Amino acid sequence: MFKKILIANRGEIACRVIRTARRMGIATVAVYSEADRGARHVELADEAVLIGPPPSRESYLVADRIIAACKSTGAEALHPGYGFLSENEQFARRVEEEGIVFIGPKHHSIAAMGDKISSKALAARARVNTIPGHNEAVESPEDAVRIARQIGYPVMIKASAGGGGKGLRVAFEDKEAFDGFTSCRNEARASFGDDRVFIEKFIEEPRHVEIQVLGDAHGNCVYLWERECSIQRRHQKVIEEAPSPFLDAKTRQAMGEQAVALARAVEYQSAGTVEFVVGKDRSFYFLEMNTRLQVEHPVTEYITGLDLVEQMIRIATGERLAFTQGDIPLRGWAMECRVNAEDPFRNFLPSTGRLVKYQPPPGNGDVRVDTGVEEGGEISVYYDSMIAKLVTHGANRAEAIAKMREALNAFVIRGISSNIPFQAALLAHPRFVSGNFNTGFIAEEYPRGFSVTTVPPDQRDFLLVLAAAAHRRFRERAAAITGQLPGHELQIREDFVVVLTGPEGTLEQTPVAVVANGPEVLTTIDGRAHRITLGGALRDLVVRGEYDGTPYCAQLERVGLDYRIAHNGAAITARVLAPRAAELLSLMPVKAPPDLSKFLLSPMPGLLVEVAVRPGQLVLAGEKLAVIEAMKMENILFASQDGVVAEVAARKGDSLAVDQVILRFE
Amino acid sequence: MHDIIQQLEEKRAKARMGGGEKRIAAQHAKGKLTARERIELLLDEDSFEEWDMFVEHRCVDFGMADNRVPGDGVVTGYGMINGRLVFVFSQDFTVFGGALSEAHAEKICKVMDHAMKVGAPVIGLNDSGGARIQEGVASLGGYAEVFQRNVSASGVIPQLSLIMGPCAGGAVYSPAMTDFIFMVKDSAYMFVTGPEVVRTVTHEEVTSEELGGAVTHTTRSGVADLAFENDVDALLMTRRLFNYLPLNSREKPPVRRSSDPADRIEMSLDTLVPDNPNKPYDIKELIVKTVDDGDFFELQPEYAKNIVIGFGRMEGHTAGFVANQPLALAGCLDIRGSIKAARFVRFCDAFNIPVVTFVDVPGFMPGTAQEYGGIIRHGAKLLYAYAECTVPKVTVITRKAYGGAYDVMSSKHLRGDVNFAWPNAEIAVMGPKGAVEIIFREEKSDPVRIALREAEYRAKFANPFVAGARGYIDDVIQPHETRKRICRALVMLRDKKIDEPWRKHGNIPL
Repeated sequence: MFKKILIANRGEIACRVIRTARRMGIATVAVYSEADRGARHVELADEAVLIGPPPSRESYLVADRIIAACKSTGAEALHPGYGFLSENEQFARRVEEEGIVFIGPKHHSIAAMGDKISSKALAARARVNTIPGHNEAVESPEDAVRIARQIGYPVMIKASAGGGGKGLRVAFEDKEAFDGFTSCRNEARASFGDDRVFIEKFIEEPRHVEIQVLGDAHGNCVYLWERECSIQRRHQKVIEEAPSPFLDAKTRQAMGEQAVALARAVEYQSAGTVEFVVGKDRSFYFLEMNTRLQVEHPVTEYITGLDLVEQMIRIATGERLAFTQGDIPLRGWAMECRVNAEDPFRNFLPSTGRLVKYQPPPGNGDVRVDTGVEEGGEISVYYDSMIAKLVTHGANRAEAIAKMREALNAFVIRGISSNIPFQAALLAHPRFVSGNFNTGFIAEEYPRGFSVTTVPPDQRDFLLVLAAAAHRRFRERAAAITGQLPGHELQIREDFVVVLTGPEGTLEQTPVAVVANGPEVLTTIDGRAHRITLGGALRDLVVRGEYDGTPYCAQLERVGLDYRIAHNGAAITARVLAPRAAELLSLMPVKAPPDLSKFLLSPMPGLLVEVAVRPGQLVLAGEKLAVIEAMKMENILFASQDGVVAEVAARKGDSLAVDQVILRFE
Repeated sequence: MHDIIQQLEEKRAKARMGGGEKRIAAQHAKGKLTARERIELLLDEDSFEEWDMFVEHRCVDFGMADNRVPGDGVVTGYGMINGRLVFVFSQDFTVFGGALSEAHAEKICKVMDHAMKVGAPVIGLNDSGGARIQEGVASLGGYAEVFQRNVSASGVIPQLSLIMGPCAGGAVYSPAMTDFIFMVKDSAYMFVTGPEVVRTVTHEEVTSEELGGAVTHTTRSGVADLAFENDVDALLMTRRLFNYLPLNSREKPPVRRSSDPADRIEMSLDTLVPDNPNKPYDIKELIVKTVDDGDFFELQPEYAKNIVIGFGRMEGHTAGFVANQPLALAGCLDIRGSIKAARFVRFCDAFNIPVVTFVDVPGFMPGTAQEYGGIIRHGAKLLYAYAECTVPKVTVITRKAYGGAYDVMSSKHLRGDVNFAWPNAEIAVMGPKGAVEIIFREEKSDPVRIALREAEYRAKFANPFVAGARGYIDDVIQPHETRKRICRALVMLRDKKIDEPWRKHGNIPL
């Protein structure tokens, strides 16, 4: 076994590899950029080596520095994590040549799977299902119909240069194929200046299901069941689970066997993933093979009880797999939510800054938090926005979902925005809960982006009762003040009105009676009685207790005169008042929010890399106005309506704060 | 007897109706509550004891003889906020536009006199068109009577003002003399001369809101402390502020128990100050993570953002917080910031509220605007305020404490009781770069040597030990233990007493 390994990565995956290495008694070396001084992975590792400036291409992507770090620390092996250099064939080869063990597949396996086209050909030779299609440009509408019949309807007619839905037609019968080909070719010629058109099988209601494989250096190869990764937003996975709610045992086995066949075909010696697209008829087709550890590997670890990093290390030392296919259990259900530093209410733009508060839920046997950050840490603009993974395990899917909801309720992040509200909403979505979804789920269900506006009826009582009971606690604290005049001491009232501000500033007032009864609070709302307890201190943002005898966990924060409460994907901002105060509040004017439509505001902190318009210029809705770079992503800001630019307030190269004015319209 | 009772009820009913239903509806239509509704929100339920309901004006000119409303445009009395005594006057805009008559002023003076006798704060709810012009000089005299009482009460009882409607001309000087001013956006304004006079005299076109609205006074002039969206918010937040204040200058502030442990550790504060000395951070995070339950009542948050002031509690006891804010002007002291903080420190000193100061100050703000504006005199105010202040003073230097600004910010030399520094604190005459460019002026052209000198200077002074060696710093503490150490210091200082020699009063550089 190795004595010391280096982890050529950062963030949660570096921390996660270190954890297993430590358990196995292997010393660890972290590498870090200047932006990651004091990062969690640096603190966790036994040694750490600075490898360069913050940008990845000057640090985490510089093979020479990483190899030098191995040499200087005497690390015998290197784990690449995911991303960065993990699937770089030349890097793997160089590491091997330098006499360092690459904890991953051999470079030739990476190479074989690295190219999308040749990997498909290789898969086809290994008798793995590939999407039926015609690999040459189609010449005529007649040809299109003939080929479509060969493939079998429905088919997809797509322009070679197309993308993002442009230059794409779906045909369910001959006439559609005929017409679709013609219009697709015309569009391709007009839009891209390239009229080559291809036809392939159209997968209806596609799901993304992938098979985890494990191969050793002795020709043994097994599959560790599947992961369902169909919950995606713009091709980025959001929630993953194992097993898939869609597969039956037969399909699972067929997919697993094909995945193993492919792995064998490339002499795969490590953990790898074979991705498939699965149609609504459970037909499945090979997409690509990822020759690395996947982000979502923990769900597989939960259902199999295996530690994939340990397996990778053991395989890398030349050990044989200690089990065969028949030994591999499939226990319960596991689910993973990716926690990203992004603002779901601002179209998921990246969010950077200081983690003023960061309190992940406590981990236990069934809740696992793989995190790369700590409270007080900094989310920089240089790296990926994923800061943690929340993984839960249950006896069945419903249980895994329930545990995930509670874990999300308890996950506190302040200082930056996170996608936790969105994750919580997904977990509460009936279609997600039913398991009836495909890769189009998020686009279909949230076509205009994400917002939490309406209070779900089944949560309304709870949220209002919690607000009222929380307010009561603050009143208790207020009543404890010294210096009260005898006979005039503050009496805590038992009738409150919870006021919610609706759209357009309208107020919705609900009387809630609140009577303390020992540690319990008895409440009445619209004639319905509820019992609630509130645990924890006033300063805690997470409240736990029992509501009508059932445990709950919610987030509650006093902001000015209001309480902000979030629970199971629902959120309210409530004010709790005495009835008379509520009555007087309703006399207050509803003020229209300031008109900001005349301004283009920076939606996030970042670097202004381009201003695409000049003062006096007429711009049309949808036109590009400016480009902001944050978290290695370029974010293009488009005009939301027609207008004339009056003034450009920020300059190229400026560091922008959130809501900083970039330009003003007339 | 029965007649009298009936008459009494009629008078009461009339007084309660103020200017009548129509005017009340008009008041509501303007988004404003009536004088009595405001008192209802401000005070504990049913705690208001009203006085002088039957007072009427004595004017007979200009048809006023037949135009009397019991109460005469102001509701006065006392009541409780969370069980604690407070005197209140609330001007009634529905009666003569809330204009101040001689009788109206007498009512205000009466509650102020009582407040002084029993030692309880006064809260004034201002909503008045100005002087009762029909009364002429009698009205002006009334104002001055109020002003005199504001001044006599200053530093004896806390005085709070809410501006909830017009407050123009001489009327502004009563709230101006009080300790804190809250304003309501869109419906309240304060100015000495209104937009029309401004237009005639200076030819400036300006609206009332722009000239003296809540936003103007909380962002540009610094006249007011906080701006609120509506009457309800302003009144409820006034209750919160009241909880921090003692009833008078002979009393300690009230104590409100907290479950927040005094020895709470905040590990995340260890990374609050960035490695790069030129990178800012939000000092409010330190304050919020230091005070009980994270409850920090900030005052003037939108004015002179380079310095943060406000109240918090430490182990239930009120403390005033003053902190340089690196996010704005690098935390420099300028004219506005010095005045803002000086006035706050003096309030705390007057009312037995310990002052906790967080220091990260690179110096005074340079420039002609500052010098011509009198930064010497205004900066001196803050120095004066800290130096004369005899309440417990605990100071933590979080990063930079350079030059004269180091002295000013509650340093040991200004009778700072307990002065801490974080490990990365730099206490020096100036930053290393500036210092070597002066000391080694002749080596300036040699970047290598200068860099070496700078490193030398940094090693020597960019740490808390030089100051520690002289006892200017009592201890170097870890950021994560800041709350614990401040709590300990404040407990130790709870009975601090300094006797000053008799003098009439000092001469603060106004």
